[in-house]
Amino acid sequence: MNRTSKWYWRVLQYLALAGYLLFLSFPLLWMLSTSFKKPQELVELHPSFIPRDPTLANYATAFTEQDLGRATLNSLQVAIASAVITVIIALPAAYALARFRTRVNKVATAWILLSQLFPFILLVIPMFMILKQVKLTNSLTGLTLVYVVWSLPFALWMLQGFVRNIPRELEEAAAVDGATRFQTLWRIIAPLLAPGVVAAALFSFISAWNEFFFALVLLKKPEMATLPLALAKFVGIEGISRLGPLAAGSLMATIPSLIFFAILQRRLTSGGMAGAVKG
Amino acid sequence: MTALNDELPLARRRRARTGYAYFLVLPALLPVLFLSVVPLVNGIYLGFTDARAGLNQTTHFTGLDNYTGLLSNEQFWASFKIGLIWAVSVTVIQFFAALGLALLLNLNLRLRWLARTLALVPWAMPPVIVGIMWQLVYHPDAGLINEALYRVGLESLGTNWLGDFSTALPAVIIVGVWAGMPQTTVVLLAGLQGVPGELHEAAAVDGAGAFRRFWSITLPQLRPVIVAITSLDFIWNFNSFGLVYVLTAGGPGGRTMLPMLFAYEEAFKYGHFGIAAAMGNVMVIIIVALLAVYLRRRMREASA
Amino acid sequence: MKRLAPRRVAAAALAATLAVGTLAACGSGDDSAGPIKLKFLSLAWQEESVAANKKIVEAWNAAHSDVQIEYIQGSWDSAHDQLLTSFEGEDAPDIIHYEAALAGQFAQQGYLADVKDLIPADLKGDIGDNVWQTVTSGDGKVYGVPFLLESQAVIANKKLLDEAGIPVPTADKPWTWDEFQAAAKTLTKGETFGTAWPVKQPVNRVLNLSLNFDGKYFQKNGDKNQVVFGAAEQEVPKRIHDMVYTDKSAAPDALTMGGTDPLPGFFGGKYAMLPGSIYLRQQMKEQAPAGFEWVTLPPLKGLSQNQAANPQTLSVATQSEHKEEAMKFIAEFLNPANMAELAKGDWLVPTGKKAGEELLKSTGGKDGWDVAVASAGSLVLAPFQTVTQFPEWKSKIATPAFQEYFANKISLDELGKRLVEGGKDILK
Repeated sequence: MNRTSKWYWRVLQYLALAGYLLFLSFPLLWMLSTSFKKPQELVELHPSFIPRDPTLANYATAFTEQDLGRATLNSLQVAIASAVITVIIALPAAYALARFRTRVNKVATAWILLSQLFPFILLVIPMFMILKQVKLTNSLTGLTLVYVVWSLPFALWMLQGFVRNIPRELEEAAAVDGATRFQTLWRIIAPLLAPGVVAAALFSFISAWNEFFFALVLLKKPEMATLPLALAKFVGIEGISRLGPLAAGSLMATIPSLIFFAILQRRLTSGGMAGAVKG
Repeated sequence: MTALNDELPLARRRRARTGYAYFLVLPALLPVLFLSVVPLVNGIYLGFTDARAGLNQTTHFTGLDNYTGLLSNEQFWASFKIGLIWAVSVTVIQFFAALGLALLLNLNLRLRWLARTLALVPWAMPPVIVGIMWQLVYHPDAGLINEALYRVGLESLGTNWLGDFSTALPAVIIVGVWAGMPQTTVVLLAGLQGVPGELHEAAAVDGAGAFRRFWSITLPQLRPVIVAITSLDFIWNFNSFGLVYVLTAGGPGGRTMLPMLFAYEEAFKYGHFGIAAAMGNVMVIIIVALLAVYLRRRMREASA
Repeated sequence: MKRLAPRRVAAAALAATLAVGTLAACGSGDDSAGPIKLKFLSLAWQEESVAANKKIVEAWNAAHSDVQIEYIQGSWDSAHDQLLTSFEGEDAPDIIHYEAALAGQFAQQGYLADVKDLIPADLKGDIGDNVWQTVTSGDGKVYGVPFLLESQAVIANKKLLDEAGIPVPTADKPWTWDEFQAAAKTLTKGETFGTAWPVKQPVNRVLNLSLNFDGKYFQKNGDKNQVVFGAAEQEVPKRIHDMVYTDKSAAPDALTMGGTDPLPGFFGGKYAMLPGSIYLRQQMKEQAPAGFEWVTLPPLKGLSQNQAANPQTLSVATQSEHKEEAMKFIAEFLNPANMAELAKGDWLVPTGKKAGEELLKSTGGKDGWDVAVASAGSLVLAPFQTVTQFPEWKSKIATPAFQEYFANKISLDELGKRLVEGGKDILK
């Protein structure tokens, strides 16, 4: 390949990427613009992207009327705890499912599929009853447990695939060196799985961060409300909503996840595998 | 096999391995058992009863009655067809779009961290506002699409995207693709890290072009991840209805009535828990049958 | 890798703290001693009405140390799912804000208590019998106290009416449908349509308005209900359809819009008149561009101005252990001054006569309050409101059928056939 065609390729790559990003992030930009508009500007026949008469009133309303600060803390707590717990219990299980031939294997695969296939709305009431038995309704712990169970199938399914991709010889070499099984798992396998772990943690975090239905039925106390619950209060009857405060609040809810992504994204490619081999 | 394993008699080795496997699975097992398996068994069982919403209702076992009723429920099957079109289109478009994006994000481009972060926007936005934003995009009078067409003088191409009988389903499919792209992209991007770089270098030295390298090295290495994420995507898409509910509520004229929306209304709007659970069971069986073909390999690996 | 280590440690520490924190947070909830605690699920969402709700609850809590109200703000979108789950999970709120038709469904399922004997006489007397009927079940049980009514009016662009020389009708001499249609035709010119019919959810709108022509849609046949689609029922759908496709005085794109979706077009002069709920006045007040003049026209008249009354209600859960206290709170919550405040906050009509008078006095009848309060008299119980399977018929049969008819895909006859035949399956 000569230099000019390489240059040509690069431009194409940047253009394609820009196209993708525009498609994926324009609703966010529109939400940003909406959050600074006054009510009159929200119903214009030919809306403009830059608010003509920008206002911060929507942010003030969003924060004073609903306790978004408290809701953010609640959501952070639930989402981080779900992500951490999911990864901690999924990692060994995924390893076992990928490496050992046992009966657990078939049962687990069947469960993973079934749990995703069966309409979750029909599971809400039985889950509620069980949590009530152990007095975990109206508690963020109960909600976290639900989210962990909710993201586990995905985490197991993904991590299994990643474990299979790791050559057995690596482990066997470690075993020869006298490492115990646990040492092998944590020192050799886990780092190699970093990208998969990050994907699973992201998934678990964001599912918990954005989940609405379980939070709605489990949490009754206003001071426990998570962000989606607090935001839903700006939605009214027959599809009418208080769009300004809703957009302002939603933007404030989006930013923490984006920061979380920005920090974690590097780990998607900084696993041992990528580090071991010059890319 | 290693020397360590060779010293152990076969049976003992097996037992030890099994014990270790159970030990590793245990932490996941308890919450799953109580908060997933028990409700699932309960849900499946409901499909064979006449369970209804109501205080002090008694539930009777009715065997296959719900299923014979479903057989002649034309609306359910019509929505099933729409559900398949929806799930297959969203999954396929999502996969190809996400693969392209993942490959781009895997390159050593400038501001890659920012691009990777922005690619996850659909995932990060609270679902409660996603539907509302897309309604504004598709609004016939003041929507972004029609406004953009108006500004470039192509007003005649504008239409009532969500209201027109022919454009409603494609319009919601695009929203479905948008909403699900981040997780597919993240998984594929993570999967790409498992493709050893030496293979690429070796192939490049052999003179293989970028496309050849992708086709003969990257793709085969990525296959387990691709199979895993596309099948999960398919299941998720088939099961999702929240976004469509906000956008069209199944209309116009039932053109976007997804089967899960149908089951949801059956359970929560009319209180027919038994029939809704039966619909769930039927959907599970049909989707499993469809996936079985696709997942043959995966299943064999699992039991191999 | 080394660089990352401290961060990893910090993350682990954070996780550990959070895990402990969550466990601690799940602590005790003892309610053995102390005051009675009642949970009140409110669906108010407008800024003023949320404020009014909170104010009333606070005043009550300050005055009644023995009965404390816990205010829970729900949302209309998810209220049904939330309530059904909490009823089934035996964890229902004591006092429930909802609407008559759907509350009726919960009453039928046994979740809502009969409060007939608990309602104080002055509250009972202040609300009309036509409204009480909407919360009375077939066997005479009363499952809620109705407090806010919604009627369908027409909001018009005053400037466009003036330009076309069309005088604004008054409450004592409202427009008939014919006059409305004629005005729409006159107003249609250039880029402007006379009106927009936002019937994304067509069923309730059409069935409500059909009472104008005495269109009942449901008829008792012995002890069973059946769907009818005669000349009276055909009036409203046919008129809407013809305005779009024959007169071309109503915008076709607006047919798939929800209630407030036509607002940009209305404010931008694309639609001259907008039929809709009287709460639209709130959007007018808040969102109309500077200099835009709007006027509330009285409900249209066919044979009468009758519309279906589906009031917002306050009910008491069957599972509540303190029904009497709950009812006492409801009575206080709905005293004339409070009810007027709540109605004002939601831009709806109070069911109480005294509250209506108070509202007229405090607003001077401006912003369409005269029309709104006057419309309360013609709100009656519609036959469809007493049909248990109505939600199912509406969603499975009527919604898609009306949508196809309004999209001009099927004929009026075909529409009728689907409504009636589909009804037979569901009403069996």
